[in-house]
Amino acid sequence: MESLLKEDVKIKPFRFTIERGKIREFAMAIGDRNPIYYDADIARKEGYRDIPIPPTFPTAIEMWGGLDFETLISLFGLDPLKVLHGGQEYRYMGEVCAGDTITAAPQLISAFEKRNLRFITIGIHYKNKEGFEVLYSESTIIERRGTD
Amino acid sequence: MSELTAIHKPEITHTQLVKYAGASGDFNPIHTVVPIGEKAGLDGVIAHGMLIMGMAGEALADWFPRKDLRKFKVRFSKMTRPGEKLTIEGRVTGEIIEEEEKRLTGEVSVKNEAGELKLSGQFEIKI
Repeated sequence: MESLLKEDVKIKPFRFTIERGKIREFAMAIGDRNPIYYDADIARKEGYRDIPIPPTFPTAIEMWGGLDFETLISLFGLDPLKVLHGGQEYRYMGEVCAGDTITAAPQLISAFEKRNLRFITIGIHYKNKEGFEVLYSESTIIERRGTD
Repeated sequence: MSELTAIHKPEITHTQLVKYAGASGDFNPIHTVVPIGEKAGLDGVIAHGMLIMGMAGEALADWFPRKDLRKFKVRFSKMTRPGEKLTIEGRVTGEIIEEEEKRLTGEVSVKNEAGELKLSGQFEIKI
């Protein structure tokens, strides 16, 4: 089967405003009991400007900001039943809190096939409204190909 | 090497996967719709890898101040299903200078009750 991968695929930049309620919902779904995600006063006492984002919250920024599962599937021509998450990396350069609007610049880092598996790595640079890079995210998705 | 206090999570439920789908925006049906999981050859639904990484992230912000976390990187090794109970373990492995900053380096892992490894990762914390 021919590779459906479009190497020159361009992923649209997007912007996302972080809300306290979304952070609370996200922390609750994980079962993360850290009070800094639920109470702005506690967060401030701990030295944050407002409620900070949990370490893996950028995934919600991506999915709700425009780079959701359906978009990835159609961008890369993937079989949704055969896609798995292989790895994820975050680098944290600045504080990101509720109330912040951040801009995301996604790019395709690499795409290749190895033994019936297709690996796609996407990197996203996030900047705050002052233009300072506060966060970098890199995810690798794996598509199981061929016979099943 | 110094071991960090392990964190034990309650049993993962179908409801939790639905909640996490809504919270994260990842609506891949292999996480929430049992017939789709079966069609995908997964014998039911599997948890989002990012939910498991989220649990490891909870542990990191328990062990160290959230604001000092600089890097967090994981590989997903085994799928997780509803009914499993996970434990997050971690250890500090050393010190490095990165971006003109002194940082602790460490490893984090998530396992089920049978000791099956779900996720292994590394982190860096500003000292």
